[in-house]
Amino acid sequence: MGKRSIVVLALVLVALAALAVPGESQAPIKIGVIEPLSGPVAASGNYVRMGAEIARDWLNAKGGIGGRKIDLLIEDNKSDPKEAASAAEKLIVRDKVPAIMGAWGSSMTLAAMPKLEEYGVPMVVETSSAASITKRGNPWIFRISPPSEMEALGLEQYVDKLGVKRVDFLAVNTDWGRGAITAFGDMLTKKGATVGAKEFMDQSATDMNAQITKIKATGGDTLFLTTAVEQITLVMKQAQEQRLGRKIVTTGGSSSPTQLIKQAGAAAEGSYHIVFFMPWFPESMPDGKLAKAFVDEWAKRGHPSEGLTEGFRGHDGIATIAEAIRVAGKDDPKAVREALWNVSLMGVNGPIKFDKDGPAGKESGQSRPSIFVVQIRDGKVALPDFLAKK
Amino acid sequence: MTRADGWLLAAGALTLPLWLQSPYHLHVAIMAGIFGVLAMSLNLLLGYTGQLSLGHAAFFGIGAYTSALLTLKLDWSFWPALAVAVALAALAGFFIGRLALKLRGAYFVLVTISFAGVISLVSINWIELTNGPLGLPGVPAPALGPWSFRTKTAYYYLVLAACGLSYLVCRRLVMSRIGRALVALRENEPLAESVGVDVTHYLVLAAVVSAAMAGLGGSLYAHYTRFVSPEVFLFTYTVTMVIMVVAGGKGTLAGPVVGATLFTVLPEALRAAASWQWQMLAYGVLLVLLVFFLPRGIVPWLARVMAGSQAPAEPDSPTIRR
Amino acid sequence: MAELLQHLLNGLVLGGTYALLGIGLTLIFGLMNVVNFAHGEFYTLGAYVSFAALALAGIDFFAALVVAIVAGAALGWICEVLLLRPLRSESIDTTMLVMIGVWIAMQNAELLGWGGVAKSIPHPFPTAPLVLGPVAIAPLRLFVLVLAAALIAAAWLLTQKTKLGRAMRATFQDRDTAALMGVGIGRIHAATFAFGSGLAAAAGALLGPIFLVYPSMGDLASLKAFSVVILGGLGNLPGATLGGLLLGIAEELGAGYISSGYRDAVGFVIIILVLLLRPSGLFARQERIA
Repeated sequence: MGKRSIVVLALVLVALAALAVPGESQAPIKIGVIEPLSGPVAASGNYVRMGAEIARDWLNAKGGIGGRKIDLLIEDNKSDPKEAASAAEKLIVRDKVPAIMGAWGSSMTLAAMPKLEEYGVPMVVETSSAASITKRGNPWIFRISPPSEMEALGLEQYVDKLGVKRVDFLAVNTDWGRGAITAFGDMLTKKGATVGAKEFMDQSATDMNAQITKIKATGGDTLFLTTAVEQITLVMKQAQEQRLGRKIVTTGGSSSPTQLIKQAGAAAEGSYHIVFFMPWFPESMPDGKLAKAFVDEWAKRGHPSEGLTEGFRGHDGIATIAEAIRVAGKDDPKAVREALWNVSLMGVNGPIKFDKDGPAGKESGQSRPSIFVVQIRDGKVALPDFLAKK
Repeated sequence: MTRADGWLLAAGALTLPLWLQSPYHLHVAIMAGIFGVLAMSLNLLLGYTGQLSLGHAAFFGIGAYTSALLTLKLDWSFWPALAVAVALAALAGFFIGRLALKLRGAYFVLVTISFAGVISLVSINWIELTNGPLGLPGVPAPALGPWSFRTKTAYYYLVLAACGLSYLVCRRLVMSRIGRALVALRENEPLAESVGVDVTHYLVLAAVVSAAMAGLGGSLYAHYTRFVSPEVFLFTYTVTMVIMVVAGGKGTLAGPVVGATLFTVLPEALRAAASWQWQMLAYGVLLVLLVFFLPRGIVPWLARVMAGSQAPAEPDSPTIRR
Repeated sequence: MAELLQHLLNGLVLGGTYALLGIGLTLIFGLMNVVNFAHGEFYTLGAYVSFAALALAGIDFFAALVVAIVAGAALGWICEVLLLRPLRSESIDTTMLVMIGVWIAMQNAELLGWGGVAKSIPHPFPTAPLVLGPVAIAPLRLFVLVLAAALIAAAWLLTQKTKLGRAMRATFQDRDTAALMGVGIGRIHAATFAFGSGLAAAAGALLGPIFLVYPSMGDLASLKAFSVVILGGLGNLPGATLGGLLLGIAEELGAGYISSGYRDAVGFVIIILVLLLRPSGLFARQERIA
């Protein structure tokens, strides 16, 4: 028989064997992390990773869980759903993690979800906002970030004070952006505001002048903006160039006002931002001491301050999983899932406790995160007037 | 390749689940199989007609979406959905083949890129049909009578069957008069035309078969990952297919399969070998090195090595030079 | 009416940036037949070099532009000599694959070196817009548009009027004859690639301050550059310029009056139509299929 096929076969075997490095047992408790660490949203994914590492180090400094250290196994999903599914498979099967935190974007999370069900491993969702994640009847999902609907409800009480009468939307053309337009559009219509333009931009777009020109023609008073901080910067600069003259409200909690002040300068002045963490006033957070400690630790490690509004997600996600493992008393996926229903802890964002969401019998967990509004005033982040007086 | 080699490889592939202890490795094998189908599909165009399609993700995505939508929204079972997915992808291939048949080289590349770009934007913006960027979760696992392909082992055999079928189709096509006509076309189009090869006919045929196979890959992907989103049209998927074909050896039958295996295993092996910061960088560098040292691909190189010190052997089909 | 005028002005400015991206690629792709997916990475490189020179080394805007061009050209030269020269007899997809590898490696090296956080390049222009009747434009954008026009003109003069330019065109039209006439083929290949890469880096340095600088910024740039090249015809500098302007205006009007979700589809549809109806590009005189 021919030598060629033997060589081919051997190559395949060697390649597969390379994967089959035996995993170690015992010792540290492993927690899987799936984040976009390369690709277009690498900055955000890395902030979440940094926050997760802080949580790990803090827990380990206190002696770990039941004397066992915590080890984070970090995987890159490359902003690609296929990679998110592969990463989940690898973490669960090869590394045998009892729980995962991930996977930032909703489509990455949705792609990883069938793997959780297949193997029975819980995942704490730290950023994704698509409503469908907790509505699909996947009992292994526990979300600590707010879906867009929850965020919109959180803003409802301030709509009158913000003076929103005629609103336009500009959002990134993804599940997140589209979901935000629906949720905030419904809420604002209910509050009696009229909705003008609903415009979209591609995730990688850098020139939004066409959309801004179109929005300018509607004559509204407020622009709701949903996208990553880079695009928010560009939209603000381009809106200034075109003398748009609107009140801008950003949603989604990924706006990083600190970075906007640095990079958009005067163009960001007066804008409002929905955030889930206020590192500028840690004392105003539900747990002031914890928030302060997190901000200090972040600075001590030399992480960029603009990443704090994203980084806390990583901390809270890992803290939640660690607490569940502690409650369960063992690092077994099923026990951890049961324990997740019973955890009640204070995160940097605020209290974390899971309610049932989705079809009966197969509910996912959804926490009720705290939601805040800040404003950029005189080149600084400030509480809006209507909140500062309190 | 001798008959014995073929049987040996087939036996190896058939018993793979027995000696892969971990479902993770089986997952990698399934992905390699799906990409094997896709790479063979691209090779039909790139390797045998010399036309580079950089829009192949479009056919893949059309297959994935068609199959997912039919099973989710109309409650069809997997098999008819698969058939329609393949047919629709083939139709798209016919369309592109007819439209672009006058174009060659770089121009063909750009038409296919643009086609994929438009289809991708449709999948994002036609919310009523595709659910837009939210994607379609919950695509059902296929079943055949009482058997479900929900388990990895079962799905592996399904993918393996698709792979084998694609291989046989390619082999049949390449070894036939059609294949000779395609190679003649690739090597010297005016000459081929002058001896009576109907250029248009054969190019369209290759495009249709190639697109149909990509559609098959798409359908298999959708029912395996159980989730389809506009990311299936990502340019990286096409780039991955091209890497597999060219690195494996374009214009050879075994090349795409070897390429698909290698470049599905490599990123996963890098996960184990390098921390995340270095993985993609290493991937890029390895790719450059591989092409640099084996510009014709692995399989033609192996063929030469196997031929040993005898006269330099020709690969499965004439080397490609332009 | 004011809205339409503003759209047209936006389109013109955007088109100027596209033209700037396209002219470098039209040389590399059009003349050398290298499907250069790393083109956008040279654009990114230019932006980062300019950022480093301005924000870290503290030299002025124009000097930073020159440094970026030199860096882009130098790396382009190295790339050609090391990677493309040995593969010159291989087919178009082999060199394309090498450039795909370079693209992935460069982008991830940038991510590793600079981190994923977007950088903003400081510039000396006022941020308040220049108001011209019903429309407005940022002074920086106007300046970049003018400088882009100057750069394109310089590139055109270089290929048309200088000895190097003539040797370049001769080499890619008829390599053997050019060699017989005493043209150093190897040097011309390297010079052309370096020239195209330098232009990409110049685009990065110029557009960096308007947009932001981040590792994956080159992907969109590559895509737009390919569109521009095909609209204008391969290797055709004035064509690339017009193609860029056309693409910019078409996208702007498409987003403004049709649907912003389909904004990028406008470019794709134009490309398909151009290729089917006039495959040599909109502005070429004779057909150049195959």
